Amino acid sequence: MAEVLLTEDQLDHFRVRAAEIAHPRELVIDVLRAIQSNFGWVPDEGVELTGEILRLSPLQVEEVATFYDKIFRQPVGKRVIHVCDSVCCWSRGAEEIYAHLQKTLGISPGGTTSDGVFTLLPTCCLGACGEAPAVMIGLTTYGDLTPERLDEILERERAALEE
Amino acid sequence: MPTITIDNQRVTVPEGTNVLEAAKKLGIVIPHFCYHEALGAVGACRLCAMTFLEGSDKGPKLKGVHMSCMVTARDGMVVSTLDEESADLRRHVIEWLMMNHPHDCPVCDEGGECQLQDMTVAGGHGIRRYRGLKKTYVNQDLGPFISHEMNRCIQCYRCVRTYQDYCGGTDFGVLGCNQRIYFGRFRDGTLQSPFSGNIVDACPTGVFTDRTYRFRARPWDLEEAPSVCPHCSLGCAVIPGARYRELQRVRAGVNAKTNGFFICDQGRFGYGHANRPDRPRSPRLGEREVSWPEALGALRRELEIIIAEHGSQAVAFLGSSRASLESNAQLLELARFFGSENFALEIDPERDRAARTTAALLGECARSQEEVRRSDFVLLVGADPLNEGPMMALAVRQAVRAGGSAALIDPRPVELPFAATHLPLSPQNLPEVLKALAEERFERFSARERTVLAGISARIKEAKRPVLIGGGNLLGSSGAQLLIEAARAFSRGDRACGAALLLAGPNSFGSALLAAQSPGPDRLLAQMQEGRIRALLCLESDPFADHPEPGRARMALSRLKLLAALDYLPTETARRCDIFLPTTAPAESAGTYVNFEGRMLPFGSVFDPGVPIQITGGGDHPPRSFEAHTPGSLPRPAWAALAALRGDSLSLAHIRRNLQRSDARFAGLAELEEGGEGRRVNGAGQMPGHGPELPKHPSAEGALRLVVTECLFGSETIASFSPVLDPVRPAPVVRLHVEDGVRLGIHDGEKVRLRTELGDLAVEVRLCEAMAPGIVVLPRLRQGEWEIFVPGVHRDCILQKEGG
Ligand code: SF4
Ligand code: SF4
Ligand code: FES
Repeated sequence: MAEVLLTEDQLDHFRVRAAEIAHPRELVIDVLRAIQSNFGWVPDEGVELTGEILRLSPLQVEEVATFYDKIFRQPVGKRVIHVCDSVCCWSRGAEEIYAHLQKTLGISPGGTTSDGVFTLLPTCCLGACGEAPAVMIGLTTYGDLTPERLDEILERERAALEE
Repeated sequence: MPTITIDNQRVTVPEGTNVLEAAKKLGIVIPHFCYHEALGAVGACRLCAMTFLEGSDKGPKLKGVHMSCMVTARDGMVVSTLDEESADLRRHVIEWLMMNHPHDCPVCDEGGECQLQDMTVAGGHGIRRYRGLKKTYVNQDLGPFISHEMNRCIQCYRCVRTYQDYCGGTDFGVLGCNQRIYFGRFRDGTLQSPFSGNIVDACPTGVFTDRTYRFRARPWDLEEAPSVCPHCSLGCAVIPGARYRELQRVRAGVNAKTNGFFICDQGRFGYGHANRPDRPRSPRLGEREVSWPEALGALRRELEIIIAEHGSQAVAFLGSSRASLESNAQLLELARFFGSENFALEIDPERDRAARTTAALLGECARSQEEVRRSDFVLLVGADPLNEGPMMALAVRQAVRAGGSAALIDPRPVELPFAATHLPLSPQNLPEVLKALAEERFERFSARERTVLAGISARIKEAKRPVLIGGGNLLGSSGAQLLIEAARAFSRGDRACGAALLLAGPNSFGSALLAAQSPGPDRLLAQMQEGRIRALLCLESDPFADHPEPGRARMALSRLKLLAALDYLPTETARRCDIFLPTTAPAESAGTYVNFEGRMLPFGSVFDPGVPIQITGGGDHPPRSFEAHTPGSLPRPAWAALAALRGDSLSLAHIRRNLQRSDARFAGLAELEEGGEGRRVNGAGQMPGHGPELPKHPSAEGALRLVVTECLFGSETIASFSPVLDPVRPAPVVRLHVEDGVRLGIHDGEKVRLRTELGDLAVEVRLCEAMAPGIVVLPRLRQGEWEIFVPGVHRDCILQKEGG
């Protein structure tokens, strides 16, 4: 992960876009996500930079940033596991999945594994009710989970990171 | 107008009223949090449930339990608030809302005026069943005015809707979502909006409380009365609260015609003047404190001696725009009593003329704050509402929020809480632009200016309720006249174009009405200089600080044989006069202000003057000692003191009755309710004489025009004596156009010398783009070396680099 918030190219791109459109505010999520994918999470400076680009106050950016649970305002592991805690997943064993994750990773919700790989977070509906119970790791959604399948997935995710 | 039935009672309400309001009209108050008359209904708190038994024939059929704030009353609706289903729902909703709320009302500063307490009881929730952990939050430091206790929040969103939506603030809002909602700032720090205090009034619980009043009193221990804000010409309704002879706080009053529900922070936190330890509280002869009878006797004797020696015209009377209508009227009575025609009711000659011109011409063009809120196009010319009448900025903001638009023609870099086209023309072009707008002839302007002006003119013509707003300081008398004439020119048979002028003080308009026969402050000063006026009696006026030519004023004042003053502030005049009579601060006496639109606004007395507990108790409990002063030696209302000088003892009601009997323009004054909506005066003032010609610009090679401008928390007299505002006094910086900066080699943030005929000043420069070139904008700051620069004066200046 790069240690810059935004690359020069990205900065130029967002500045130009912000000048072109009537409501630069609509770019808040785009800028925050760009920062997050460069930096891993969005530090205070990222919120302020976003405000500066879009001519918003830091508070106006922070209102949006903190509304979404997929914008991280604190450092997280390399892969964030979002466990669905909505009703469909719950009715099909999400609690078991959640407990299994906590046990195998050795962390509680909100925690990050000591090797800095995984962070565990609950999330509202992932839109994967048809394959409940589901989780999202990074940007990949996995459904029809069992503890065994989950172990394989974690293994694969870890291996992919090491490559 | 629909008629609906609520709990078997019928009520007819205006079209568009919601059912919650309709019930209120019947005296049925159903618990509610998120609905607020000024903020509208959002249906968020789910508390105002009622059962709809019959829908209306018109509109959708509504049956069952609904949020009454979200339902518009329609003819034929039958509603029950007593129905068990909705009552039960309300009971449960309040129980949820209370779940995380702390159980410690005795240590909460909101206690005694907490809507949450009231609504909880009204909602039928008494016994707590929840035994789990509660959510807790970290509080923020929001600056000197507001305390923050987030644990008390019930998520009604009123604060954000007030701060962001109504007032246009951008540094406070709602963070997080769902179970983690937080109302605060990005970081700790002072709230930036000049309307921040309104969240104290808006929050139904103790999350936001007035930090300047923290733990000073319970509301039931406060003496309160509906009053009118004395800090600018808008006349917003306020409710000051006092305890132990000390003004403890001010909160917003409600006046639909003026402020609506909110006030600015100057009106709210400018109250410390009444409690100052150095406030003069005893009558004085020279340095010696004396009793009232002795001081009154001495003053009258001195005046009579001077009259006997030099004739009646040798005594002059100077009123002010911060003294009430009644006090100014009594000053005139006194002048008449002594047979003197030498009086003025404002020391600044241009402000005097601007106010008198406004009072003479405004007539049916006058627009209230409420009418501005409902306007669909507002043009500001030479007006800086945030600094000259803050709530007017919010009034225009509401017009813009409701779909209207706004434009600004002003040389200064004017900050506004709404979007507006800004045309920065130089100050000497403002009269010209008003003429050009009225006649629709823009040839003299540059191509870009022509386009903007044509656009503005088209928008005024399209608008159904256009209003032109000017600032008395920058426009002066001739500008005020041109603005009103432009409004007339834009009026047509089917609709009128309104006008408003922001004036200097709370009673500028009233003083101007009374000043018809005044020779004006210039003549007074000239006669003082010539030695023809020997005695001057100042009513809540400070000629040492407020005359635009301080040198000339000082010289003239030094020639007087007798300088007498009535005041409640330790001004220079109060300190240096020969005879001093202490008067009551606005909250200590009743009176009337006539606001910028000519609306008479009577106010009541909140508390009796006396030495505040801060001083007698040294900040501790009430002392158990006896007082040293004689009863009756305390400050008196200026009108009472002035009447006593004539040997009269009139009640205020009597003064008001006399005033309306002798002057039909004040008809109805005596019957007006204190703290009510007030009423426009019935008739105009008279035009003042012509002022001196404005100097040509630039008069000297390389000179810039100095534009002195009012600034919030820095310029207004009474607020400048309020220590509560000290932490937010504006910084002494001047502003200069970027081009001028380049030309003169001056950088942003650089310290330079400002040279004027009044003397030199070391100033820090801020470079700006959104302003006219060729000018230096300097804030009026009181009580310091900047005080000599008074708004509204056309003067040249030179900026010189240090060492250059
Ligand atoms: S802080 Fe007060 S006004 Fe704001 S949401 Fe909470 S309870 Fe409502
Ligand atoms: S706008 Fe003027 S009258 Fe209204 S509260 Fe502020 S200072 Fe007072
Ligand atoms: S007042 Fe109606 S839902 Fe809150």
